[in-house]
Amino acid sequence: MNGHTIIFYLLALLTLGSGLLAVTSRQLFRSAIYLLFSLIGIAGIYFWLQYEFIAAVQIVVYVGGIVVLIIFSVFLTHQAGEKLPVPKVSNQIIGGVAAFCTMALIMLQLFKYSYKPTAAKPIEPTVANIGEQMLGTETGGYALPFEVVSILLLAALVGCIIIAIAPPNLPRGEEKAR
Amino acid sequence: MSNDKNIKSAGSSPPSGGLGGYIKEVFTAVKSMLVGMRRTGYYFTHHKEIITQQYPDNRETLNLPERFKGEVVMPHDEKNEHRCTGCQACELACPNGTIKVIFKNEVTPEGKKKKAIDKLVYHLELCTLCNLCVVACPSDAIVMAQTFEHSVFDRSKLTKVLNNPGSKIMEGVE
Amino acid sequence: MLSFSEIANSIHEWLSSHLNNTWTLVVEMVIAGVLVISLFALLGLILVIMERKVSAWMQIRLGPNRVGPKGLLQSFADTLKLLVKEGMTPGGADKFLFNFAPFLAMIVAMLLMAPIAFAKDFQLWNINIGVLYVTAVSSISVISILMAGWASNNKYSLLGAMRSGAQIVSYELSAGLSILSVVVLTGSLSLSDIIASQQNGWWIFKGHIPVLISFVIFLIAVTAETNRAPFDLAEAESELTAGFHTEYSGMKFALFFLAEYINVFIVCAIGATLFLGGWMPFHIGNWQGFNNVMDYIPSSIWFFGKTFFLIFVIMWFRWTFPRLRIDQLLNLEWKYLLPISMFNLLLVTAMAILGWHF
Repeated sequence: MNGHTIIFYLLALLTLGSGLLAVTSRQLFRSAIYLLFSLIGIAGIYFWLQYEFIAAVQIVVYVGGIVVLIIFSVFLTHQAGEKLPVPKVSNQIIGGVAAFCTMALIMLQLFKYSYKPTAAKPIEPTVANIGEQMLGTETGGYALPFEVVSILLLAALVGCIIIAIAPPNLPRGEEKAR
Repeated sequence: MSNDKNIKSAGSSPPSGGLGGYIKEVFTAVKSMLVGMRRTGYYFTHHKEIITQQYPDNRETLNLPERFKGEVVMPHDEKNEHRCTGCQACELACPNGTIKVIFKNEVTPEGKKKKAIDKLVYHLELCTLCNLCVVACPSDAIVMAQTFEHSVFDRSKLTKVLNNPGSKIMEGVE
Repeated sequence: MLSFSEIANSIHEWLSSHLNNTWTLVVEMVIAGVLVISLFALLGLILVIMERKVSAWMQIRLGPNRVGPKGLLQSFADTLKLLVKEGMTPGGADKFLFNFAPFLAMIVAMLLMAPIAFAKDFQLWNINIGVLYVTAVSSISVISILMAGWASNNKYSLLGAMRSGAQIVSYELSAGLSILSVVVLTGSLSLSDIIASQQNGWWIFKGHIPVLISFVIFLIAVTAETNRAPFDLAEAESELTAGFHTEYSGMKFALFFLAEYINVFIVCAIGATLFLGGWMPFHIGNWQGFNNVMDYIPSSIWFFGKTFFLIFVIMWFRWTFPRLRIDQLLNLEWKYLLPISMFNLLLVTAMAILGWHF
């Protein structure tokens, strides 16, 4: 057991432990914070694997985006500071069984899969390579999914503006009252 | 850098004049910010502008502004004469009853009886230094002094008599 | 000439001749940690007295002038006061999160120190995505503010935290876009590559007006991101007493205070690295004599000089402009900075493709 493995187990412990706390905590805000640490643990594992780009993107998207969004919705929720009631026993059992089945499925697939070493040289995860891969049109390029996702995001942005914009025919006072 | 511009076009009024207006707005904003920063930059580099008075240290050389008001005093000349006729204008002008005029009857050399002030009592503890009495005085008998170290251990010491003992009204002041 | 990189190398050689690889690494990590913490303490002391003096001179005042020569030891006295003060925890607070938030703020500030190149060949972690790492990790700092605001169980704290969250999330966009303009010109995210690309001139000179615009936008956006005036709505004294740190006292307050100044230092260091060439000395074209004289000044002095110049500019902003209202703040970002920086990024990209820079 060298330092490398110890760091991996520490990161795994952080991820799993805070994930467990996130689902068992009775306070909504604390759950969000534990979720944050779980996601940071995953980013740490990416760093450990030396996939710095993925790790940084994980932090930008999940920590800077999703968790902040969750915390904001917790802030704006009515009575968010109160402790949540313990869920019904039947719900707990159903949730536990569902989680166990999912984990069993993933584990089964993982252990069944035989990893083969490849002869091809790994692509250096530099920014230039990632960019070329992302917008590449040949085999292994991601141009189409990239554009599809951009259109989806654009549609979401336009939708937000449509919802947020005030109807132009309303006089000023009414607009305020809405 | 468009803070200032935003203060002008704050809230709902959209930038007028299309793209050209927008660009103009940004430029005026940047310019006005640079003007502000030039002013603070000037003060930063010119330390002679500093107005702080390090008061207890420079008590001797303290440089008070001209219009600083410390308390009401009545100036007397070398013959121990003042200009107060006892007209009570100051007493009436004072919004919180700080000044009380106490009279005495005096006999002039011609044998006439004349009303004159005995004491002009001034309650510094009630005074707000509003300057209304000085403005009201028709004969400029009272002025504002720049003394300001008024703290004493007994409140009664703040009640002062403005005219000196044995003082008289100046010749020619009616 | 004695330089940071030579000292670091000789320490490394001495350690590796006495210890095996793992222990060398461990000892070096400890040394780096101690150095970073002492740099924090030093920066805190220097920046606080600098801010107070700058603010005083800009407002035609004298500033602190009693403790030590010309008041230069004032921040020592303040630190001592904060150290011996009791750290209170309010009764209704979420105790764990309340006590954890200031440490999270400090941890984030520490993580941000890692990829900064302080001098020639002197960098804690030469990560190949340095710029992205900095933008990513700095987005965690908003969590500590939100945490502090929520855990204090105080309406001022909560309002301050929400304002600061909205502010940081929106200004991250234009800060990111203005950083991207330099990344586009360099073609690399690594901070050491970006510095190396400025060997023959800093980007602010090489990149013409578009880079100048993105530099200005960067300065505005990072001022907002570090919650400093004129964007200090998160702690607007007249409205929210002190915002998210209303309930904090003693050393926990000091940690928030220190983290703010460290963040200012870090964003200014990043700005100096991206736009002003990091530790690269100032060179003018073919003036060999002048360039040699500039080379003679140590690289660490160049780096700290540029960083402190940017810190001074940000302080200048703070003591010149009045605080923005929340709607003005969001207007500024979404109607002005973001469209301008997007258009500007387009210009820079065209410039990089057509090779119009030097």
